[in-house]
Amino acid sequence: MIFLKAWNYFLGYVVISVNGLSLEKFINLCVSRGIKLWGIRRISYTSLTAKIGIRDFKSLPPIVRRVGCRVKIIDKRGFPFLAYRFRHRKMLIGGMLIFILILYGLSSFVWVVEVGGNTKVDRQVIYDILDEKGVRPGVYKGKLNTWEIENEILIQVPELSWISIELKGSKAIIKLVEGVKPPKLIDKETPCNIIASKDGLIHQLIVLDGQAEVEIGDTVRKGQLLISGIIEHEDTQIVRYVHSRAHVIARTWYEGRAQANFDSVSKTRTGEKASHKFIESKNWIINIKREEIPFEDYEIEERREAIIEDYLGLSWVVREFYEIKDNSTGDREQLAKEMAGQKAMEKALKNIPKEAKIIDKKFKYDIIKDIGYEAIVYIEVLEDIAEQTELLVN
Amino acid sequence: MRKKKLQEVKSTVSEMFELPKEITLNMPKISLIGNNQMLVENHRGIIEYTPNLIRVNSTVGVIRIQGNELKLRNIATEDIMINGGIKSMEFI
Repeated sequence: MIFLKAWNYFLGYVVISVNGLSLEKFINLCVSRGIKLWGIRRISYTSLTAKIGIRDFKSLPPIVRRVGCRVKIIDKRGFPFLAYRFRHRKMLIGGMLIFILILYGLSSFVWVVEVGGNTKVDRQVIYDILDEKGVRPGVYKGKLNTWEIENEILIQVPELSWISIELKGSKAIIKLVEGVKPPKLIDKETPCNIIASKDGLIHQLIVLDGQAEVEIGDTVRKGQLLISGIIEHEDTQIVRYVHSRAHVIARTWYEGRAQANFDSVSKTRTGEKASHKFIESKNWIINIKREEIPFEDYEIEERREAIIEDYLGLSWVVREFYEIKDNSTGDREQLAKEMAGQKAMEKALKNIPKEAKIIDKKFKYDIIKDIGYEAIVYIEVLEDIAEQTELLVN
Repeated sequence: MRKKKLQEVKSTVSEMFELPKEITLNMPKISLIGNNQMLVENHRGIIEYTPNLIRVNSTVGVIRIQGNELKLRNIATEDIMINGGIKSMEFI
């Protein structure tokens, strides 16, 4: 039905009022000549209103003459009448077309380049390489061969293990994953020593090849020789150079330190929030969304993004208001202590390799008067500290 | 007499082959949706139309529809759609 209505609107129709006697005859004649009428409504004994298509309206006169009634147009509806009204306003239609063209044109260019996912590689380095390869604001999207650029960047930046360039609207979204460099492998035939990669206490020593220079229970420093690749036979004095291999499991210690202030825990977010969104320039703002802030205590978090880089000096701002609850009277000391401990633990865990096994952890808390708590966590782990280094034989 | 016989034959044939009777016998097909929409297919023109009474001609006689604020929503050579509060319908 909605389709029919849209079709009628597109073709255009008029609302007519028919005055006269024997209006049924008028309807029957229309129907028999294939003229479509719809929305017929009897107003009084001598008049009715109906809707009729533009073309059909033109073939009404013979019927009108035969029935002897009068037909009057009440309303003209539909697209053809609208078009008729605009026929002298060529610039308006031209403007519309130009608008659509510009919109279409501009959307086929890249306006924003976004890089996400990198932590170690400097963002600027990637932007520079992208720029060099042609991925920069203002470039035509059709010219970019993303697949090729991806490959070239992967070759140029060895730290990356995966990259994807996605063109989404006017944005080029670059996602990358950094690979972990494999440790330098020393050829099996090359003689080598094993040194400690960390300070620690030797817990277990399994020598597969080479001469152990330390014993279980020894404390070693980073870089200290653990297994020597030079084996000298006691009796014959013959020196052999071997590719030493060993598992050296040692106890090592990690430390994490963090501080939590009473102020930061005295307020917690309740989860309620309101947000304002607006476009900001130097002199004015346009509000897009402006919610009432229904609470008294709140924190503000603001994010701003430049619209089309910095060319226009406009920025899109999202300001969020989070309701907060005051804990100052309650157990804020306990909260601060817990938070400090948690943060310290997180910091320490960042440095511990995945293969390591945690065997002990100790927390130490220091109160900083009137400010907060400082927590130090010591974690004892078991890990392999063997590191092969090439032996230079002269 | 002969015409009546022909009608009977047609009726049995269409029943045998499950053909739609409104086509084979040229009868009106009336569908009602609740009491506010009525579709009369295979009509023979409108005899009278006022907001309270509509009379439609058909092969089996005049169909008289009474109601209030009746509107002819759509009208074509084959079918008429009536909208409004329909109270009664009879064949006369």
